[in-house]
Amino acid sequence: MTALQRRATAVTRIGFPPWAQSASGVLLLLAAFEVVPQAGIVPTAYLPPLHQVLAALADEAGRPVFWFSLYETLRGWAIGLAIAATAAIATGLLIGTVPLLRTATHSTIEFLRPIPSVALIPLAVLLYGADLRSKLLLIVYASFWQVLIQVLYGVQDVDPVARDTARSYRFSRWGRIRHVVWPTALPYVMTGLRLASAVALVLAVTSELIIGAPGLGQQIALAQSGGAVPDLYALVVVTGLVGIAINVLVRWAERRLLSWHPSVRGEVAA
Amino acid sequence: MNRVPRRLAATLALPSLLVAFWWWASAGSTSFYLPPLRQILAVFPQVWTVDRFETDVLPSLARLAAGYLLAAVVGIGIGVVIGRSRVVRGIAEPGLEFFRAIPPPVLVPILMLFAGIGDQMKIIVIATGALWPILLNTVEGVRAADSVLIDTARSFRIGGLRRLRHLTLPAAGPQIFAGLRQAVSIAIILMVISEMFAANEGLGFAIIQFQRSFAVPEMWSGTILLGLIGFGLAWAFRLVERRVLFWYFGMRAAARDH
Amino acid sequence: MLEIEHLRKVYDGHGRSVEALRDLTFRVGAGELVCLVGPSGCGKTTLLRCLAGLLEPTSGRTLLEGQPVTGPPERMAVVLQEYGRSLFPWMTVAANVELPLREKKLPKARRRELVTKALTEVGLADAGTAYPWQLSGGMQQRVAIARAVAYEPHVLLMDEPFAAVDAQTRADLEDLVRRIWKDLGVTILFVTHDIDEAVYLAQRVVILSNSPTVVQEDLTVDLPAERDQLSTRSDPRFTKLRGHVYEQIQKAKAGT
Repeated sequence: MTALQRRATAVTRIGFPPWAQSASGVLLLLAAFEVVPQAGIVPTAYLPPLHQVLAALADEAGRPVFWFSLYETLRGWAIGLAIAATAAIATGLLIGTVPLLRTATHSTIEFLRPIPSVALIPLAVLLYGADLRSKLLLIVYASFWQVLIQVLYGVQDVDPVARDTARSYRFSRWGRIRHVVWPTALPYVMTGLRLASAVALVLAVTSELIIGAPGLGQQIALAQSGGAVPDLYALVVVTGLVGIAINVLVRWAERRLLSWHPSVRGEVAA
Repeated sequence: MNRVPRRLAATLALPSLLVAFWWWASAGSTSFYLPPLRQILAVFPQVWTVDRFETDVLPSLARLAAGYLLAAVVGIGIGVVIGRSRVVRGIAEPGLEFFRAIPPPVLVPILMLFAGIGDQMKIIVIATGALWPILLNTVEGVRAADSVLIDTARSFRIGGLRRLRHLTLPAAGPQIFAGLRQAVSIAIILMVISEMFAANEGLGFAIIQFQRSFAVPEMWSGTILLGLIGFGLAWAFRLVERRVLFWYFGMRAAARDH
Repeated sequence: MLEIEHLRKVYDGHGRSVEALRDLTFRVGAGELVCLVGPSGCGKTTLLRCLAGLLEPTSGRTLLEGQPVTGPPERMAVVLQEYGRSLFPWMTVAANVELPLREKKLPKARRRELVTKALTEVGLADAGTAYPWQLSGGMQQRVAIARAVAYEPHVLLMDEPFAAVDAQTRADLEDLVRRIWKDLGVTILFVTHDIDEAVYLAQRVVILSNSPTVVQEDLTVDLPAERDQLSTRSDPRFTKLRGHVYEQIQKAKAGT
């Protein structure tokens, strides 16, 4: 069955188009959030009803410290991501195009990759305290690997025919990178950036939570220790929304930048 | 006969160089925060005794295993249900997108409300974080099952449990394993975080204690141990994956050779 | 054996309505080998899927041994074109052939027997423990055929099974189909775009029109029952029939 036929069958059979499905999903979720605590299934001390969380959210929006924290989180995220991306793209292009470096660094990369970034938390605290730089240390470390792996995959994917053609026309190494390697690697780089942007947010908030650097995570820790449960939930919801917004933004950028690209690059598992 | 030693040498070359470099660069270090590698390694056996392994490391790993298994069972189970039905997928999608956008460590304070600060809380934290890549990848793997295989199964009237066992799960296998692999890293991270945030034993707890009491070489030894554990688990995972998905790797190799 | 009555299939979606099949009526007698040919895009695959119970027609019906087909019937087996994707790569060849038999709830010994027989019939007696991706394309298609044969169907539907195989392998597989047909006495409905293949294999050739599809002609192939690639294809009668079918298809493409 072609995709058209399958979609047609779904619509005519159920009369439940995709936008209605999403809408009902959202409504179901919100309803559950309101009803479950009200009905006493879960104590309101653990799960406040939706309207309380929304009220707390409105409250937060009126407080300057909230906006400041949001700004701090996004600032750390953006700077960390930028540093990591630049370093990873440069390193990846270098390693990828020099076969000797590739084999030499393979095992090191495989060893360092799975080291959890949280292992660096104590070090970050010692070095920089509860400060933007300790956040950046963690964000850059974690995001770097995401982008690097994808860049390496991208460089590997270069069409040998294209590469040989460039060589036979005596392109310089820089010329080859610019005209052959980079366009091939670009979709992978975008995938890496998408993955890294999610990871960077996680590390930003986590480091704020644990280390106490200013940001949303720190606010969450404060809400928790102060017993302000609706506030806690409100901040968590905000974090989720920020995550969604970042995802949407990156996907939009991906589509814009790659609109010329003929193929659809699947995400290679990191 | 010459190939094996040469490949081994290539593999170990850079790491050995890096370690040697670390040793040499830090040898004369008087920095408080970056002690000589020699000191860290000397401290290693003193800190990580069999006793400490039992009281700190093993409980951490046990919680990690419990949380991971819970996430795997729930993730694959729910993932299959959601993946099979287009309508269920459409309804569940907004909720899934939202929950997966929440950084898992942020859920620790919330889960502490429900589950206190004991083992249960940590296991649930690990499970909640590890769940998402498994769940989402399972949904994707089930959804994207080859239509030709599905038609073949339908034409032979293969349904129900048999279809689940012989078609749905194996077909989604590679994608599920991708999710399981991502979940390993997340589980380790959450294991450490849950212990750094609220605990009285465990590997993460020990490392944080060292940091708080400024026992820096000990802290570094803990970090190294954590790195080794992460590396070891990733390596073990790859072994399991190679065995379970032998057919997938075989297929890809066959396609490459043609 | 198989009666197709006024089969009609319309695809609706997004404001567009595509009538793939308008009115298809023909019969396939027990033990016959009938080929379906038609111009590209005439809905051959749609037709086959309706017959196999995989697709619900808009109107009209298919009767298998007098019973209407509402879903995949038990006495029918299908061999698809994409042999590589229709075999389960995580199972051995033998396990693949055996799987539908397990659904039929046959005892183990009987299953083993059928599997061995089927694999021997297609010439893959030693390939039982191999995995599909270790085999060549032609061998994979043989496995798919073995799987259908082991199922002991009354009707075998084949949807352009040799389209994706090279010419030499195709010749071998065509002969294999005729051999199976003779040995097992099974009814075969064979869809193809290859006119030569259709005339070589069939007792009757049903020629389909362009979309929206109806039966253009139902042609009896009066070639001898004993056929082989060399002599049959150089038989003048073969050439004549082939030319006729080609002419009909050209007419169908032009819409007459």
